Amino acid sequence: MGGLILFIFYGSILFFIIAMALRVRKCLNAPLHLHWELYKGSSIYELTEWWAKAHNTFGEKLWSMILDILFLREFYHRNRKFWYFLYPFHIGIYLLILWHGWLLVSALTTPVESAPIGDLVWGHFAAALTFIGGVGIFIKRIVDEDLRVYYPPIHYLKWMFLLITLLGGFYAVHFYFEERMPTDVMKLSLYPESAPALHVLFASVWLVYLPFSHVFQLFFRYYHYLRWDDVPNLRGSEIEIRIKEHLERPVTWSAPHIQSGKRWREVASELPQIPSPGPK
Amino acid sequence: MVTERKKIRLKDISIHTDEPLITVTANDLMPLPPPLDQQEKKAPYSPLSEDQKKNYECSLDGVSALALPKPKSKEEEEKLVERFLRGLEKLLSQNDNWLFWQPLIQSLESCVRCQTCSDACPVYVSSGNQEIYRPTFKSEILRRIINKYIKKRGKVLSKLTGDDIELNWPTVARLAELAYRCTLCRRCAQSCPLGSDNGLITRELRKMFSQEMGIAPKELHESGTVQQLKVGASTGISSAAFQGMVEFMEDEIEEKWDKRIKIPVDKEGADILLIHNSGEFMSWIENPVAFAIIFEAVGLSWTLSSEIYGYEATNYGTWYDDIQFARIALKQVEVAKKLKVKRIMMGECGHAHKGLIVIADRILVDDMNFPRESFLPLLEDLVCNDKLKLDPGKNNFSVTLHDPCNFVRLMGIVEPQRRILKKICPQFREMEPHGLENYCCGGGSGFAIMNSMNFKEWRENISSRMKLKQILQTFNNVLDPGIRKYVCAPCSNCKGAIRDILSSKDLWEKHSIYYGGLVELVANAMVDMKKPFIEWEWH
Repeated sequence: MGGLILFIFYGSILFFIIAMALRVRKCLNAPLHLHWELYKGSSIYELTEWWAKAHNTFGEKLWSMILDILFLREFYHRNRKFWYFLYPFHIGIYLLILWHGWLLVSALTTPVESAPIGDLVWGHFAAALTFIGGVGIFIKRIVDEDLRVYYPPIHYLKWMFLLITLLGGFYAVHFYFEERMPTDVMKLSLYPESAPALHVLFASVWLVYLPFSHVFQLFFRYYHYLRWDDVPNLRGSEIEIRIKEHLERPVTWSAPHIQSGKRWREVASELPQIPSPGPK
Repeated sequence: MVTERKKIRLKDISIHTDEPLITVTANDLMPLPPPLDQQEKKAPYSPLSEDQKKNYECSLDGVSALALPKPKSKEEEEKLVERFLRGLEKLLSQNDNWLFWQPLIQSLESCVRCQTCSDACPVYVSSGNQEIYRPTFKSEILRRIINKYIKKRGKVLSKLTGDDIELNWPTVARLAELAYRCTLCRRCAQSCPLGSDNGLITRELRKMFSQEMGIAPKELHESGTVQQLKVGASTGISSAAFQGMVEFMEDEIEEKWDKRIKIPVDKEGADILLIHNSGEFMSWIENPVAFAIIFEAVGLSWTLSSEIYGYEATNYGTWYDDIQFARIALKQVEVAKKLKVKRIMMGECGHAHKGLIVIADRILVDDMNFPRESFLPLLEDLVCNDKLKLDPGKNNFSVTLHDPCNFVRLMGIVEPQRRILKKICPQFREMEPHGLENYCCGGGSGFAIMNSMNFKEWRENISSRMKLKQILQTFNNVLDPGIRKYVCAPCSNCKGAIRDILSSKDLWEKHSIYYGGLVELVANAMVDMKKPFIEWEWH
């Protein structure tokens, strides 16, 4: 049983890494789309000869992303009622992630028996915060009709499963730390009790789900030229090379004015032979 | 008596009925501030005639933007639905839709249905929160159609991810009309915490209808891009007519302001090829005149072009069709290349800015990748660095600025126009909100020129309503008709939409609220203009 749990858990970590890598690869290999950005402030287009100016906005993007993720600024400014629940939920999640990281470090550096009580408080606090925020969002999603009619059933199941995972985790950790520690450490590590085992199983499910969730979409908002991509297409640049490749693709659309079947470059540069509608 | 409004559900899009899903009434509309604060009695748009209802699809909201003919038979309906599905597949294919695949997929996948975008949408709010105008309404329908008919995930997963939309002809017809109830101002996208862009989804839907099914508003396609590619301008102006207009401009300048200027046309090797929206020549010739006066006053090396495609900045393809967009952009650049100018400069036209300067950057390669820029940085340099002799006292009247969405949110040109106005207009006052948070004029994405059936009424009373509210709020303490007020709208389409809302409410006659471009204010402030440039005559 213990071996199976370990296999599922480490397997889910491996799955998470591979799925994320594939997802990143899919994004990197996506065709270079046309400029369609939105701006948060002044851009290089306020300058004359903008194509010759510096376009480094990496630092600005990174800093903005950190602030957005830490404080959920967009929700705070534009949807405060939602933010009241969303924020504790996210802070709780961040603290839980950090807590797990800290537990890993602690496990590698100190004997389990000497785990400080502060660790437990940290974990419980983070779980409670996440739970309170999660319950708030779940209820809001049910009672607010505008939210409810657009939210597919699968997301309600997701929230329920998340709350169960949190409760299970709370119970498992509480049980593990307070009732069995430190007298029976070896037995627990080899043959986990059902509560910790179930929690590890739930965590594995989340690891498998995460690469397909909305969470990682947030990064693409900043790094997929959706905002502030002022990098111009200069002659001989990597961008130009990619565009040239795209222009060789066939046009497949079927409307009469398109001239389907030719390459993009040809269709764009030749005038269409539009059939005459005839005398009126 | 106020009757309770029927709640519209997503699946209602598929209902088989000729009756509209909704009809916006006067009671639904967002209230306006004084002097228009009396409850309106007149419906925001007239019902279509029985004949129109019989022949055209109008079962969304009783409005027809597309004049979409009703299919004659069940077979024809099925064929059209099938073509819609094939088009949708192409939209979701990297190969077929490489131009916008990535942001489209991102927008479809990232929405968390928090509805933060709803309150950002001027059409949704102005209409009294009509469900069908909610930015996520059509996006969610599209998502569910994709889940059910394209991804085909199996019964259970489809049910869980939402499979309640039936894809039939009413769904397709309503989606086609719905794609033209959003001005693509992308205020919703700006407000989305996840970066989902409902404006892009709308634009892609329009594109699919045009490129796969040949469905697009006549004003954008046949009289727009097709006419532009055929005769050189979407207004239908020929090269000869354009040259006549330039002569008229020269005479006008001499007659009114006692200056003889030779407007350069087809001057090879000039620094700047200035391209105006040809609508300016037809409706607001004072705008290109002001440009000419300013450019000549500082001795710039510039030219206009009389070459076919060289005197028209518009590119309606920006709003509905990638192919038409690319064709026009390439033609415009070819003119500049032929003239051997150093750069193309766009005049006061928002979508032409975004189209040729920004979007086209990813289709222009080799020597077609030609320098292109906005007139605003140059004008700012001329005004703010005292290269023009200006007297702000000549503009001593209330001025506010309407921000064209294409300049601010969609391009990041936010400050030059403000610095110019602050320098030359002592009574400049901002609208609220402004800059990146501005509201669309209601004429965005082609609406300003679309006048099919009752669509103009819908635009004036619904999509432009928020702008009207802003204008009235901005001038609320100077509504006295004895005080002149000027709404500065540095974009041709915005000017058209603002003209129509001011006109429909008699705001010039009753409250002296006038409108115009930015360069007109600069020309008006020029010290050596013997008579005021702005004539305060409604047109």
